Amino acid sequence: MKYFTGIDIGSTAIKITIINENKELIGHRISASGSMFYKYAHQTLDDLIKELNISKDDIAYTVATGYGRKLFKEADENISEITANAIGAVAAAKEFGEIKTIINIGGQDSKAISLDDMGNVVNFAMNDRCAAGTGKFLDACAMNLEIGVEELGDRHFNSKGTPLSINSTCAVFAESEIIGLLGNNHSVEDIVCGVHYSIAKRIIKLVKRVGIKEGIYFDGGPALNSGLVNAIENELGKKIFIPAYPQVTTSYGAAILGVDSYYYQNRA
Amino acid sequence: MSSLQSHTIETPNEKQNRHKAMEAIKVLNTLKEGFKTPPKAMDYFYNLFEDVYCKQKALHDDKVKVGTMCIQIPSEIIYALDGVPIRLCNGFYTDDEIGSDFLPQKACPLVKASVGHLASKNLTDKPDMIYSPTTCDQKTKAGTLIASFGYDVVDVDFPRTKESEISREFFRRSIREFSADLSLKMGKKLSKKKLKASISKIGYAQSLYHRLSDFRKNRTVPILGNDMFLVTNAFFFDKIDNWIDACEKLVDELEQRVKDDIHAGGKISPRIVYTGSPPIFPNYKIPIIIEDSDAIIVADETCSSNRMFNDRVAVDEWFVNDMIDSLADKYLKACTCPIFSKNNDRIRRIIELVKSHNADGVIYQAFAGCTVYELEQRSVLEAMEKAGISILYIESDYSPSQQGQLSTRVEAFVESLKIKNRNK
Repeated sequence: MKYFTGIDIGSTAIKITIINENKELIGHRISASGSMFYKYAHQTLDDLIKELNISKDDIAYTVATGYGRKLFKEADENISEITANAIGAVAAAKEFGEIKTIINIGGQDSKAISLDDMGNVVNFAMNDRCAAGTGKFLDACAMNLEIGVEELGDRHFNSKGTPLSINSTCAVFAESEIIGLLGNNHSVEDIVCGVHYSIAKRIIKLVKRVGIKEGIYFDGGPALNSGLVNAIENELGKKIFIPAYPQVTTSYGAAILGVDSYYYQNRA
Repeated sequence: MSSLQSHTIETPNEKQNRHKAMEAIKVLNTLKEGFKTPPKAMDYFYNLFEDVYCKQKALHDDKVKVGTMCIQIPSEIIYALDGVPIRLCNGFYTDDEIGSDFLPQKACPLVKASVGHLASKNLTDKPDMIYSPTTCDQKTKAGTLIASFGYDVVDVDFPRTKESEISREFFRRSIREFSADLSLKMGKKLSKKKLKASISKIGYAQSLYHRLSDFRKNRTVPILGNDMFLVTNAFFFDKIDNWIDACEKLVDELEQRVKDDIHAGGKISPRIVYTGSPPIFPNYKIPIIIEDSDAIIVADETCSSNRMFNDRVAVDEWFVNDMIDSLADKYLKACTCPIFSKNNDRIRRIIELVKSHNADGVIYQAFAGCTVYELEQRSVLEAMEKAGISILYIESDYSPSQQGQLSTRVEAFVESLKIKNRNK
């Protein structure tokens, strides 16, 4: 059996996906990027191989993607995370139907990608200037509220009052807004709800730049936050599709590309 | 590798309501918590705005609601015919964004918001008919646009000059026609007794405003300018008797606060007269920045507040036709809107307010796209300079995002006033 690996080295986490030659998911693993991308990427890969009980020699092809992709020199190929995200999303959403728009919220950026009927990237927009509307923004807010990031979803749905909007786009200024609200005894739930809507509104602006097309897919770590999903759906007025493993779509896409590249290069 | 999440998604109306609730609560919380303790009597107004904008509470279910697009439609006549006047000038950024689909990008945010609000058809107190005075270009055109959404909109001709006898006669005819049209629609005759009663009721409401304003002449100012804007804004849509009750309580409380030497501002807060495009709830962006920068608004010259209450009706003979003419005169002659060719009255009023309220400076806001206020900026600035009054001119819109830059400008102006005061 031949295996194919996609390694996505992001700003916050390293995501590795292994698939077989039929492009079926065999396993995946996520670890923090930390300070030594290269070392941790190898360690994570070794751990995953051990866990899946396969041999390193069975891995036929490796594709690296993400900000840190060029640091992983052993890769057979590397591609941008935009392309990898699109390929992974199309494959992951097969049962859902055709997808035309991808929203990706990462640790330190957010993207909107528009696809054509063939699943090719036709346009994309990125918020790459600061942490506004990214996973880091959520992290910072959760920290200010002294709750875990994983609690945000439930808190959102327990909000009873009007969501309290955070007008500052900057995570640093948002912190002082949140502290002000807490100081006046506003409920954590209403603030969480407001944070989600603030991020959602910013994301919608990004998506509008590439055009909102039916068949919307949302991935990246923050897609695990059901409150944020709810806020984005409300702002869009449309259902969005969340994959089972939203963090690994991009590495999954890289692995799929690996299969295609491998058979293209080794065709008889 | 997939899963579908199952939440119900808001309808467009629910989304609009949530957006507006979020804007409203932000401002209400700031007023309640961001400054020194407000008068207790303000709770009525905080709750009113929360009920209407966060909980979508309708106030006038059983009444005929008469929408007005500008300040020049006499409420006295509407009340005398058992209708409820509702002023449709809107301050929501949410509605501004909706209105942007119908009007040019550079149009006035107030007009865009008013159009957007009506375009959405999502109104708690939906007007049964709308009267649109042909004041500025944008409002005039907005009337036609709104009619295309299916509302019953009637233009009320309004002149662009106010000093001539022709314009006086012109507007008297307009108001006579307005009154005949409304009377026909309501199926009622305008009675002498009822019109006299409503003139006197509005007159009483005006007198309450004047009493509130007088307290702000005091060295210690018992109420924030932002709270006053909320009070006057409530007059746009509130049940008038409730509004009068609440203001009476506020008058009593402010009287006590003055006696107790309670100051809503800081120890050395400069006193500001605010003028220009009207702050309409929840667009209190500039007024909040001003009072957040350790200044206090002691008076204003805007159509959402002072201009609505300042001048009383002067009736010669208490016959219906004479009362209608007097009302027309009041709504034309006393108006200091910048749409008029000559508008020295406005400059005179600002200077009067600076003197009577012992103000240290004037802040003039024009909404980007509000051409008439932008145009009149020059003559007002020149006149203030001549009178030795410090003035800051700011252009801004409804978007909540550029607060940082704006507050830096306002703070610098406030600081310059403080230094001037120190060197006096």
